[in-house]
Amino acid sequence: MAAPKKAVKGAKSAKSQGKTAGKIPPKNAAKSVGKGGGSRKTPDVANADPALFDPLTAGEVADALRTLTEDRRLGSMAKVGRYRVICTEPLVVKPPHWMAGHRLARVVVYDYAADRTVDACVDLDAGVVSHLELTKSQPMLSRDEEALAISIAMTDERVSSKLLLGDVPQTTMHYWGRNPKDISYTRRSAAVIFGRRDGHASVVAVVDLLDNQVTQVVPAEMW
Amino acid sequence: MSNVINEANWKFHWRLTESAGIMVYLADYKGRRVMWEGSLPYVTVDHQQQSLDVATEASEVHGPWWTPLGTRTLQGPVRVQTFRGGVELSAVFQAGPYQYTQLWRFHDDGRISPWLTIYGPGVHDQHTYHPHWRFDFDLDGARNDAFERFEGNRWHRVETEGWFPYGGEADENGAVWRQVDFDSGSAINIRPHSWDDAEVFAIRYHDGEWAPYSPRSAAGSQPFPAAYVGDEALDGDDVTLWYVAHVHFDQSFPYTAGPWIKVEGLGS
Repeated sequence: MAAPKKAVKGAKSAKSQGKTAGKIPPKNAAKSVGKGGGSRKTPDVANADPALFDPLTAGEVADALRTLTEDRRLGSMAKVGRYRVICTEPLVVKPPHWMAGHRLARVVVYDYAADRTVDACVDLDAGVVSHLELTKSQPMLSRDEEALAISIAMTDERVSSKLLLGDVPQTTMHYWGRNPKDISYTRRSAAVIFGRRDGHASVVAVVDLLDNQVTQVVPAEMW
Repeated sequence: MSNVINEANWKFHWRLTESAGIMVYLADYKGRRVMWEGSLPYVTVDHQQQSLDVATEASEVHGPWWTPLGTRTLQGPVRVQTFRGGVELSAVFQAGPYQYTQLWRFHDDGRISPWLTIYGPGVHDQHTYHPHWRFDFDLDGARNDAFERFEGNRWHRVETEGWFPYGGEADENGAVWRQVDFDSGSAINIRPHSWDDAEVFAIRYHDGEWAPYSPRSAAGSQPFPAAYVGDEALDGDDVTLWYVAHVHFDQSFPYTAGPWIKVEGLGS
């Protein structure tokens, strides 16, 4: 996920500091076509290789994460180790970009220690982080975070006191507050919906995932 | 099941994403490239207060929420079925009280229907769905495109990036927006569902501005895709379009949101 345009500018100084950084040049930088591609045939949009869109193998996912955590720019994140991998999916860059035709992985990580999002493109052919953005935007929750939010809400007495007989956690919604006074306006949060299985919702519990605590318990009809 | 479909004058690929539903990519019509990729990055849900009571009105208004449409919410398999005059993909997603069926329908006359059927009760009746589709059309090549909107009884060229709501005017076929390719003269026409209260964001394509993994940008900033909108020129470049519908829940649900898209001027 790219940051808003203003934030992208701010991230560029960080990009340029890393020795492994491969800045993404403007897309019309035709001079760089083929750079890093060796004797690979120059691709074009009409003849793009569909295999580049294929889901990553387990090995490719592991390779991408290893490459990312070994990048010097993310040394502190890897060392502290308070981060969640949100998603690792294939990414395909259009020609004439020099990475077009490369097998790429997009890795999105939420770094709890720095309260920031890491959005990276890993070039699996070259074994480098070719694009890196560090922003304050909030990516979706990982499955682990969804499960964690449920377990935090389940053990909160304010929640359990409002549950009706047969109520269970139905789902975890990815939530953010609209009001600056709301703690979830700036902090990573989730909303757990409780209710009867396959029935109407009864209670919503907002969970702050930075401090692992329930911040609001709201009857569903008042949400 | 193969992820390549060659039916009804269309050839396209698909895969299930982690959060953006079924993504269709490298779609060709009659052998000519139409779309690099298209997906449904997210469906946000807003809630409105149910009471006009003063005390309630003063209470906190909750923000939007959403849930990824992907492997974690998929119910059953992705289905591929032919129908008279075309082929379609469909998948059902469920997260608690929210249920969606995502559809991609490809017609042999060049139409595409990227639709979303919305059902399920939600947590209460007063809520509005905002499905966001992202389309990266590459008509006969990525560059040399332009974006136009129908207004004042004729088509107008849009010079720079922006947000373009449906204002009630459409051409004789119901199209409100279109992306045209200078080289081939072909076009992608977009006709909104009349009850979608739809809008389109037209954004110059940039590597790095890929489909976000959340609508949520930094606190206090615009959410995506509005956060991508700047003042860059569109004319003659590569354009990415976001179609956003605003669907208020009512008792007549289920409701199927999404545009009709018609390819024009391509093919032998």
